[in-house]
Amino acid sequence: MKKVTFRNDVLPLKNELFRLALRITLNRAEAEDVVQETMMKVWNRREQWHEIDSIEAFCLAICRNIALDKMKKAENQNQSLEEGHDAPDSSYASNPEEQAVQKDRVRFVRQLIDSLPEKQRSVMQLRDFEGKSYKEIAQILDISEEQVKVNIFRARQAVKQKYIKAEGYGL
Amino acid sequence: MDYKYIEQLMERYWEGETTLQEESILRNFFSQDGLPEELQQYQPLFDTRLGGEQALGDDFDERIIRMIGDEQQPEVSSSSQARLISISSRLKPLFKAAAIVAIILTLGNAAQAPWNYGWDNPKDEYARFHQQQAADSSALLNPVQAENIGDSALLPKPEATHYIE
Repeated sequence: MKKVTFRNDVLPLKNELFRLALRITLNRAEAEDVVQETMMKVWNRREQWHEIDSIEAFCLAICRNIALDKMKKAENQNQSLEEGHDAPDSSYASNPEEQAVQKDRVRFVRQLIDSLPEKQRSVMQLRDFEGKSYKEIAQILDISEEQVKVNIFRARQAVKQKYIKAEGYGL
Repeated sequence: MDYKYIEQLMERYWEGETTLQEESILRNFFSQDGLPEELQQYQPLFDTRLGGEQALGDDFDERIIRMIGDEQQPEVSSSSQARLISISSRLKPLFKAAAIVAIILTLGNAAQAPWNYGWDNPKDEYARFHQQQAADSSALLNPVQAENIGDSALLPKPEATHYIE
């Protein structure tokens, strides 16, 4: 088996981890903290690396758990942060560079995705944007492949229906 | 151009039935310009920018490497501390010395035994041994017998010396 090194195999996952963390926390600063904590945790468990089939899935799973912990803590401190009701942090959309490029409709779809329940959001991120197989996603989220499929189905249906509805009103 | 295939793929996509390859076909298809009106409306749903951007720069890498470096530092010292902590391994030479001393003492004691008997004439030694044996055997007899044997017990002595000669 190939030897895993931090610099070559773990560190380059930072953006992928960041995208997942951002999809869960919906906050850039928070997501960056999550990735940093993930990196430290993965480093501290380096004795286990050789036992792991996919270091990528391992990192993503840790990343998601840390992000969920952070969300839970935030929820305890602030009751208004309930799932589905929290206003998505628009800081990443206020980046002027991106704003210039971004179409309103793409931004709207992004908001639709961000308003989904966490599991559907994570599953959609991993499948549609990171190109992971159902099996890998099941491993990362620690659920069955069947559940992954159900979540993918619900996420896509929800986004599509909300989008078409909004389009009907003439977005 | 016939878009039936794309429409079919989209239907299967909504149902969650498409493979990763088919999904990338859809994404590639929707990334091009000049799509017919009815498909164009779906374009944002397959926009690759939805996934989020590359966000963490090289400064992040540096920070992480630095933190790992900090982590590594105490580890090095802890391994040298571990050597200090194991008192038994530090005292190993002492234990060895103690064991050697113990062996020397034991052997010394064992060697002492023959010296205790001195370097007397072996003949006398043998005679004394026989005398001792006779005394012992007379001790085993009943008191009356022992009394009778008492004097004669000394008799075998010249016999014994004679025998040796």
